[in-house]
Amino acid sequence: MHNVKFPAARAEITSRPRRGGMLLASVLVLCVLALSAQAPARGRRGSVLQSWILTAAGPVAGAFGAISRSVSGASASFADNFTARSDNERLRRELQRRDEELFRLRAEVRQIRGELGLHASAPFLPAVVGSAPVLLLERRAGLQSALIGIGSSSGVSAGSPLAVPEGLIGRVVTAGRTLSRVQLLLDASAAAGARIVRTGDLGIVRGDGRGALLLNHIPTTSRVRPGDLVESAGIDGIYPRGIPIGRVDSVSRGGTLFLDVRVVPAAPFSRLTDVLVLAPFPAPEPEGASAAR
Amino acid sequence: MKLGRIALLLAGATALEFFFGGSKYRGVWPVDWLLVATAIVARSGGFGRAVLTGTAAGFIEDALMESLLGLNAFAKAGIGYVLAFVSVRVIFGGALAVGGVIALCSLVNDVIVAFLRSLLLAAPVVLGAPEALWRAVATGATAGVLEAAWSFPWREWRERRRQGRLR
Repeated sequence: MHNVKFPAARAEITSRPRRGGMLLASVLVLCVLALSAQAPARGRRGSVLQSWILTAAGPVAGAFGAISRSVSGASASFADNFTARSDNERLRRELQRRDEELFRLRAEVRQIRGELGLHASAPFLPAVVGSAPVLLLERRAGLQSALIGIGSSSGVSAGSPLAVPEGLIGRVVTAGRTLSRVQLLLDASAAAGARIVRTGDLGIVRGDGRGALLLNHIPTTSRVRPGDLVESAGIDGIYPRGIPIGRVDSVSRGGTLFLDVRVVPAAPFSRLTDVLVLAPFPAPEPEGASAAR
Repeated sequence: MKLGRIALLLAGATALEFFFGGSKYRGVWPVDWLLVATAIVARSGGFGRAVLTGTAAGFIEDALMESLLGLNAFAKAGIGYVLAFVSVRVIFGGALAVGGVIALCSLVNDVIVAFLRSLLLAAPVVLGAPEALWRAVATGATAGVLEAAWSFPWREWRERRRQGRLR
């Protein structure tokens, strides 16, 4: 890559590896020390230093995220001009169909609400804190995390679950003032309590770090089959129950007492643009509650 | 390379990470811009600066996306040193060779980070994921294109075009 032609210059440059090696060794030792210092304190909430860094990076990330969105929005609208007419026709038909469907669904909801008493389960239904744009998505060596443009100033705290209309996304692990770091459900270290809707079997959904989910601890006696809906069970103290996670892709008998169940995520992880931040589950107690007890 | 330029390069790489990361097409061409910045500094043959640039780039990445500060810094510092060593000791060039080396570096970065995460966080080791391979390809190809653009004799090309028009 770098072709040095002058002997003097070459001698000067090639005499540097020793100094560079010393520097490399020092840097690596410092990194190891820094990592060792953080490792015992690791946990759900992330370090204070990281929270400060996220707070400081907030304006820059927000600005570049906005520019990126404007550019992709402009290019998308330019491309859309070409297909606008046919899309218009199609959308009109779809709207009419949706109106009919909405009317039918409203009637059904009214009926179900009356029959089952939905109010009784209201405490379990998630409350939305706000929506946030996805500013960065990192997928490296099993790590699947994202940076979102909302933070503690909007009421987000570490542990807040995230979802999109299609399904569950993950949870906030570090919250800065206007930025938060999120662990996606696909992360190799992520897990959530899950329930197969049709059979009622409870298990634990884990990310495989490659874009799929594995449902563990489903007994071999279960009647689970491909296509079954898997939703959050609300048993892990992080995610509220009833949010779709995905659909069973394949079921095979593992070497143990449990089935190997692969789940295709319901949420479009590769095309995330905005996410909904839900209130932490279970909801934090009011200030005076613990003191009164 | 001067420190000011290195700082600008890192700022530019971070800006590009945010720019492409904020788009919904981020998965189409997922370039590791901070690794490219490290490689550009290493290409100038300065060992110390390559190591420090790699460390800084890694810390930026860790601060934004990792659960532990220092994982990517560790990996990129080593990669910076190796790239500087290769630039000085091995005489090779061309977009293909440079792109290949950077793609390999991207995979090595993944391996080091996976090993450290497994060691310190007891996280499962996930290697060879299609996304990681695709990012290595994208990063290598981008570095190759940059290398080709950098070493292309633009002045002679312009001169030849000018002379062709005069004839």
